[in-house]
Amino acid sequence: MEFSTESLGDDTVVVRGDGRLNMVSDPPMREVVTRAIEAGRPRVVVDLSRVQFMDSSGLGALISCLKSAREAGGDLRIVSPSAQVSMVLKLSNVDTILTPFASVEEAARE
Amino acid sequence: MSEERKSLVFSSPPGDVDAVHEFLETVWAENPEVGEFDRMAFETALIELASNVIQHAAGDGGVTCVLSVTADENGLSASLTDTADAGGIVLMDREMPDELSESGRGIALIQALVDELRYERVDERNVWSISRAREAGEPQL
Repeated sequence: MEFSTESLGDDTVVVRGDGRLNMVSDPPMREVVTRAIEAGRPRVVVDLSRVQFMDSSGLGALISCLKSAREAGGDLRIVSPSAQVSMVLKLSNVDTILTPFASVEEAARE
Repeated sequence: MSEERKSLVFSSPPGDVDAVHEFLETVWAENPEVGEFDRMAFETALIELASNVIQHAAGDGGVTCVLSVTADENGLSASLTDTADAGGIVLMDREMPDELSESGRGIALIQALVDELRYERVDERNVWSISRAREAGEPQL
């Protein structure tokens, strides 16, 4: 799993993952987001369009990052989850706090 | 359709759940008739199971696992045998934790995605079995 980040505006970061979000990629995901929040970008957009698989460890990482972002006055939004990721979100009853957006532009809007 | 049974032996560390994903890719490649929803439901359940086994054994110097997956006309089944001590993982009906919880969803997800989840202690090994019937409907999402 590889992560890349892109700064958007004054306070937003777009995090793009490529691969599987599981217990292997959970620590690097948290690290990438924590670094962005500490650098003054608490509005986090996670582009999941290239994440083909997520398990409960990956979901735990997303929720941890969401809480960190909110504590810093921002938020975390997800974009373009795959069918498998959407299935995990719905079965876990978290689609209310992690509502998918169709595009990065939409998610980054106020 | 002929029955296909494949096995994978891995130790963690250094192996991890990505080895299970890669193994399943070969199972899917050889069984193209398995539908997309069955595939993703079964893969999610199996990865949750393997992650639980690896995580619980992490403090005890690791674990060696033997995983076999069978795809036949009845559906998909897997057996995961591991060398960890008994009793590390408690299998009971689990409810999903609250939405802001960062853990505790693995077993509940497995139970939502497969028809059967079983545990036995055999010859100082933990034996986990999951199965998902081919004709099982999609869960109400």
